[in-house]
Amino acid sequence: MQTSRARLFKEYKEVQREKGADPDIQLVCDDSNIFKWTALIKGPSETPFEGGVFQLAFAIPEQYPLQPPQVRFLTKIFHPNVHFKTGEICLDILKNAWSPAWTLQSVCRAIIALMAHPEPDSPLNCDSGNLLRSGDVRGYQSMARMYTRLAAMPKKG
Amino acid sequence: MVSDSITNAYANSAPNAKDFAKKKRANRSAKLKQCKLDARREQWLSQVKNKQSSEDWKGENRQRSGSGQLLENLETRRQRDDQNGSVHQDSDSESPSNSPIGLTSVLSGNHLSGNCIGSSSSCSSGSSTGCFSGSTTEEEEGGDDGCLDDWEAVADALAADEKPQNPPFDPPPKGETVGGLQSRGEHKEELVVPDSSRPECVKRPPRTATANNQAWRPDDAFRPQSLPNLSKQYSFPDTNRHYGSGPIPWGCNKAISAPSSCPICFEDLDKTDSSFLPCLCGFRLCLFCHKRILEEDGRCPGCRKPYEHECIEAEPSLLEGSLTFRLTRSCSMITRT
Repeated sequence: MQTSRARLFKEYKEVQREKGADPDIQLVCDDSNIFKWTALIKGPSETPFEGGVFQLAFAIPEQYPLQPPQVRFLTKIFHPNVHFKTGEICLDILKNAWSPAWTLQSVCRAIIALMAHPEPDSPLNCDSGNLLRSGDVRGYQSMARMYTRLAAMPKKG
Repeated sequence: MVSDSITNAYANSAPNAKDFAKKKRANRSAKLKQCKLDARREQWLSQVKNKQSSEDWKGENRQRSGSGQLLENLETRRQRDDQNGSVHQDSDSESPSNSPIGLTSVLSGNHLSGNCIGSSSSCSSGSSTGCFSGSTTEEEEGGDDGCLDDWEAVADALAADEKPQNPPFDPPPKGETVGGLQSRGEHKEELVVPDSSRPECVKRPPRTATANNQAWRPDDAFRPQSLPNLSKQYSFPDTNRHYGSGPIPWGCNKAISAPSSCPICFEDLDKTDSSFLPCLCGFRLCLFCHKRILEEDGRCPGCRKPYEHECIEAEPSLLEGSLTFRLTRSCSMITRT
């Protein structure tokens, strides 16, 4: 409990200090609860998510950093490894491959990398995974781009 | 009363002589290891000694006059000393009983001996030159009153010790030792040589050498160019010793660019933590976090492999620290190849 709080506080200070160091990631801590964080990440370029801003919710366990934070997409995203309804993320470093050496910042970077390189063989979104596994990259990209425009881009007009 | 003091004097002088002999032997054994170096040193030393003796004369004069005595006084006193010395020597050898004055001076000479040996050995090298001159310095101080008991004992011990085993060593003083005290005036010149209070002493390379039998410091200007550079050999164990002594664990860490804070809890690593290498992958963390991880899944945060049960720990303040540290590195090399 005390360790996780101290560690999160250090991470918070680190985030404040290096604000703008990574323009694709904006980590914000909840005002009243240091175990609740939100992050805004930009969709990586040359992917169907380019131009979108995706919101992530972090729920940090008391055993952090020995236990991984629970992260999910608040913004709807069409991606094989993200549950379309709950926003749950299937990412090994958030499960069994977690290392205490990771930080919230590095988790965000890993999620951006996952957006650029989906793993269709372990899908949470079966529709998205099936499109990629059947080789319909174009179909996948158009669907993902549509949802990015619908959910992750500021509404026009 | 008188005989009491006589026995005292002998009792004091005998162990002194033994001590010198012992010291000498130890020094010689150390010296034998670098006999090659010494052979060159002897040659060089004898050359310098001849040159030095004239300087010593001046230096002594300077010192004496510095203490408020005129040079002429000094000359006369030296002669008087010489006469005294020979007289006492004679009476000494003939009969064990001595004049009370001589006895007190013996005792005072013994008193002085401690100081003189200390100063001369601190200034001079660990070689037998230092010991020899130490004893003679003592004698010189006490010899103002004509005390010769110690001198004889010491000289005998040294001559017996030195003569058969190390003939070429330090020829000028030994010649005087063997020749006894006939050339007392010349003797004094040599005797003053090791006096640590004299500025020449500092300048002379052999005297400035430290306890590890180094005749010259590597940066010494007087050091012959032809001598092999021993500084490397000396520095090797030195650095080894430093490795365990505390600040160097930091140096080791820097060599593999260790973090200054624990990557798990972000707390600063103290000296114990920074010399703590729990995993072969080289990932460092503080002991506290390591313990917590062992209680949970027990995998290294760096490579996600489970920690071995007998994790290799580097002791923070012991020599073993560096040794085990090296061990881990070699181990990792073995496992990777």
